[in-house]
Amino acid sequence: MTGEQDKEFQQYQALDLKIAKALQIDVPELTMPELPDVDTPVVTALPERKRSMKPVWFAIAATVVLAASISVRMSSVFQDYDSLAEEVLAHIDHEPGALRATNVAIADDRLARAVPASIATYDRGEALITYAQSCVINGNTVPHLVIQGQYGPVTILLMPDEKIAAATPIDGEYLKGVILPVGRGSIAIVGDRDEPLESIKKNVVSSVTWTT
Amino acid sequence: MTSSSVQGKRRQRFDRLVTVFHQDMYRFAAWLSRDKAIAEDVVQEALLRAWKSLDALRDDGAAKQWLLTIVRRENARHFERRRLETVDIDDLSASQAALLAETPNEELNDLREAIFGLDDDYREPLVLQVLMGYSTNEIAEMMGLKQGAVLTRLHRARHKLKDGVAEA
Repeated sequence: MTGEQDKEFQQYQALDLKIAKALQIDVPELTMPELPDVDTPVVTALPERKRSMKPVWFAIAATVVLAASISVRMSSVFQDYDSLAEEVLAHIDHEPGALRATNVAIADDRLARAVPASIATYDRGEALITYAQSCVINGNTVPHLVIQGQYGPVTILLMPDEKIAAATPIDGEYLKGVILPVGRGSIAIVGDRDEPLESIKKNVVSSVTWTT
Repeated sequence: MTSSSVQGKRRQRFDRLVTVFHQDMYRFAAWLSRDKAIAEDVVQEALLRAWKSLDALRDDGAAKQWLLTIVRRENARHFERRRLETVDIDDLSASQAALLAETPNEELNDLREAIFGLDDDYREPLVLQVLMGYSTNEIAEMMGLKQGAVLTRLHRARHKLKDGVAEA
């Protein structure tokens, strides 16, 4: 480092120290808002199994348990669709890039990285795509795109492995959208509650071709 | 595990995170909104939202960025229909002026005013880097920008601050 560079670096550090100090405003005491009850999954500890001296009762009990287990598994299959909508909302909530209102389009190569040919092709057409990432939804890697709508960012999740029977509404506190069945998979489209999604839905669905 | 003990553990986890990150949340909200009263509202909304979606946070190591992202979103929501493009430093509301509450250090006051006067696009990455300690790469990710754009904004922000303080 030359003397000039060294001096510049020191000035830069000194300015940053002052900025940091200026930014350290006083923080009022924390007032916790009233937190509502939230449904949480409850895991119940099963009582310890007792040894049975009567194999016939054991066989009957085992059958009942098996039937109950199948029933629970079946109900959880149906619940997956609901939880998919919730997972989509939760994902959007903590995906920082998705929250950015911008008019800067991403480059083609970034789009290609987020939507690999092994998953799908996406014809960007006239849409202003401002974000593209590979994300994990329900254990599968999916392309996460954002286009700019009239009321801000509109999130698009291409989910080739999430086959659904019918369109599933997504209804968040501030967001709304839908998961549409598209071919062997589905596509989630979520925007501001005031965002008119109809034309976006049509454009998105016609832009996507799953790779078979 | 009973329902109440699950709720109890959840609440303990939430309280722990909020205790650690509350100051960061508030300062970030204050510098984004440039208004102490709005910052308090934004933080309240952000805390509620974080509480409701706490189960989506799988790794507490990522909590700071997760909470700041929620603050960012709540702030954007607040200004959705009432965006303040520019604020005249001589015509501030009481809660805006409170952000610039004078300290005995004149140079610090000038710098605070200069930061207050920066465009949102410059002020936000500066706060994220200098106050929150994020790298330009992380800031780029949070703001949906290329790293080069973040570097440019940071450079311009510092340049404006240097000029602003020199002029004062």
